[in-house]
Amino acid sequence: MTTQRVLCVAEKPAIAKAVAQHLSGGSFQTIAIRGNQYVKNYVFDFNFGGPWGTCSVTMTSVIGHLTGLDFERQYRTWLSCPPSALFEAPVHESVADDKVAIAKNIQEQARRCKALFIWTDCDREGEHIGTEIRKQAKEGNARIVIKRARFSNTEKAHVLHAARSLIELDDLQANAVAARIELDLRIGAAFTRLQTLQLKPLSAALQDTIISYGSCQFPTLGFVVDRYLRVKNFKPETFWGIKVMHTRDDIKVNFLWKRVHLFDRAAVTVMLERCLMAKKAKVTKVTQKPTSKWRPLPLTTVDLQMMGSRYLRMDSQTIMKVAEALYTKGFISYPRTETDQFDKGIDLKKLVEKQLPDGNWGQYARHLLDGAFKTPRSGRHNDQAHPPIHPICWVAPTALTADEKKVYEFVVRRFLACCSEDAKGQSTEVEIQYGDEFFHAKGLLVLERNYLDVYVYDKWESSQQLPNFQMGEMFEPTEAKIFDGKTTPPNYLTEPELIGLMDANGIGTDATMAEHIAKIKERQYVAVHSRGSGRNAVKELIPTRLGIALVEGYDNVFAGIPDSPSLSKPFLRKEMELRMREICAGRRTRQQVVQESLDMYREVFVHTQRRINRLKDACRKYLNEQETS
Amino acid sequence: MTSNPHQQITTHLLTTKSLPVSPTWLTTFLASTTTSRTIPLSALTQTALFRILTSDIRDSLSTTNPSTLLPVDIFDPTIQERRLNGPIPLQVLDIEDIGTSLWSQVEAIERVERGEAIRGREIVRTVNVGEDSEAAAAENNNNNAAGGDGGGDSNGPHRLILQDAAGTRAVGVEFARVNGIGLGKLAIGAKVVVRDVTVARGLVVLTPESCVVLGGKIEGLDVQWREGRKERLLGRINGGM
Repeated sequence: MTTQRVLCVAEKPAIAKAVAQHLSGGSFQTIAIRGNQYVKNYVFDFNFGGPWGTCSVTMTSVIGHLTGLDFERQYRTWLSCPPSALFEAPVHESVADDKVAIAKNIQEQARRCKALFIWTDCDREGEHIGTEIRKQAKEGNARIVIKRARFSNTEKAHVLHAARSLIELDDLQANAVAARIELDLRIGAAFTRLQTLQLKPLSAALQDTIISYGSCQFPTLGFVVDRYLRVKNFKPETFWGIKVMHTRDDIKVNFLWKRVHLFDRAAVTVMLERCLMAKKAKVTKVTQKPTSKWRPLPLTTVDLQMMGSRYLRMDSQTIMKVAEALYTKGFISYPRTETDQFDKGIDLKKLVEKQLPDGNWGQYARHLLDGAFKTPRSGRHNDQAHPPIHPICWVAPTALTADEKKVYEFVVRRFLACCSEDAKGQSTEVEIQYGDEFFHAKGLLVLERNYLDVYVYDKWESSQQLPNFQMGEMFEPTEAKIFDGKTTPPNYLTEPELIGLMDANGIGTDATMAEHIAKIKERQYVAVHSRGSGRNAVKELIPTRLGIALVEGYDNVFAGIPDSPSLSKPFLRKEMELRMREICAGRRTRQQVVQESLDMYREVFVHTQRRINRLKDACRKYLNEQETS
Repeated sequence: MTSNPHQQITTHLLTTKSLPVSPTWLTTFLASTTTSRTIPLSALTQTALFRILTSDIRDSLSTTNPSTLLPVDIFDPTIQERRLNGPIPLQVLDIEDIGTSLWSQVEAIERVERGEAIRGREIVRTVNVGEDSEAAAAENNNNNAAGGDGGGDSNGPHRLILQDAAGTRAVGVEFARVNGIGLGKLAIGAKVVVRDVTVARGLVVLTPESCVVLGGKIEGLDVQWREGRKERLLGRINGGM
């Protein structure tokens, strides 16, 4: 029996190399391909087991998407057609110029192979890239058999297992991506052309810019502008409250008012007087109970981006790039996941064991293995494709760049924290009734730090200890007085908050959120400012005049139209995202979804055209103001 | 037992609801309903109660018994504490949430105007897309009445401006949460009855023991109050309190 020839194609060159290394056991032949310096073919033998047995393997890769979607030539230039025509104009898919050599390599290799095994990342985009690879392979060899490897990290045992349990490509997910690509192209191009052509003549500042529109970009910008306006429009108000202090055993206990504060001075004054008239306060509740601070949930992409930009001082896009690199090198699992529960089958202790050599947390890992290990909490999300982000193996800090070190350390500490016991403490609460009013004081004593020892990002500290109070006891408080204060505006939006808003409102996927944020920065719709300095500096997102003008303009365009929410709001995009999920679930076809979404946006487009002056007015208002000031 | 409906209704409303109905008002009311003699007395009493709840009590209630009225110097801030036995029926002329800043109340109203509500971090559309507008409007009204974030519900405590049958006004503050008092729940012109109530420095101390909400509203006043609410809030913010 002759050995069969098999072609394997990964999504990126680094994955191809890593997989080739594991499958070949380290000995393979590297062959350069003509016309692309990054993609290589790795040749070796491997036993896939099952029906395949030992095969002669060529492992290669693409570099992301092979093909792009574009309008027919006659629609491509800016003035070639009215922008509204782009909703129907014919489109076609073609291999991007810089990917022709890669496509050709796949065709040629396929010709000599019996089967194609696809090793793209296991997410929606990866599934779509898989179909692009399949198309090229079939051009070379129409009878080639297609399979797919399912893997979520490049650790050796995992890769070997994936190679021996091949599955089918999921066309539903690929269709959802195809629908998204077509919608993004048509809607993005139509609105971008419309607004660029209409707004450009208004201000010298816009001469050389493209004012792009994207169905995720705009709601993302909308969140930033919304918060900015809340800060700008904010009006401070005075409030009043009652503060009760009592000294016992040389401890000054501050009791907080149950009402916190009120916005009516006369009412507060009367309430305080009625406290004082009562002379004595009565202890109505004394509770002492064990309390705990829960260890974190297993790490998802959104959480990595949010926590990362909060604690590591990196923006979400950088974090994802770094995490991507760590994944490609095999140090952590796939960093794009919605799952916050570990599968029962995964050997967590073994993963903990891998961290033993570390100089910083190795001892903590030892302590877990010596009996402190706890099964992680389970969240409510499972994307059925990838486990939570976790370390795959230990890596010496010297082998990493500064950014990689930070992200890797975060992933490891988070993982170890997940496998630890909650922090334990004792809380004491004393409640008193004074006149008609209630006040309380709380004390916290941290007894066991547990996961906090390794998860340095969380803070939980003992507070002042309360002296002894007896239930039902009457006492005359040392002091009771009125205090006042002023309400303060919210802060400008930070990147972690923005990611939280996008996530809650269905804008983008965990994989694309960081890109959308980067896009609105690149388009100069928002700028990043630092508040505070040094280690406490917080990076805030502030819209530019153009950014505000666009949001206000579109809000005005849609003002008073009850069934058409503004493009700056998340609702339209959210609906589209839900339809993508329906394609994945097989409840709707790609054609149905594209048609419905185009109808929805076409209506919005017509409104915009009809009321374009409102958009122009907003731009004049903000951009010309800038020139005169 | 041949009845004198006038007498019976008067007694019933006074004993069960503490409402001393005005004889002239009741006569007019009975005259307007005599077209059908067959209405049972209980139904007639119910109708009378409903009418009183939606009337201006300066017309519909009697002012002859001073114990059902506020003292005219009720606002006197030099009196630290006094107690009114009542029961005193009052109507609500204004309600405010003094536990929430004016500005956040304005923001909540604007969210409703835009057809949005907030659920945690998620912004939710409250306008129903695709349904016929009538159903959508009804839904919206429900949302407003039921509260949600739309400025319908409020945390309190609340400050009320109250008026008795003789037209004397007083400020009441909800010292403890009273069932039925809330921005979306209590209409302008709604009736409350206070009894054995404390007045401190001119503020009526409202508690569940001393204050019962009968409900109702004065349609004209209520509409006007609602329409002008945002403007009033903004006016007070800009007026620097």
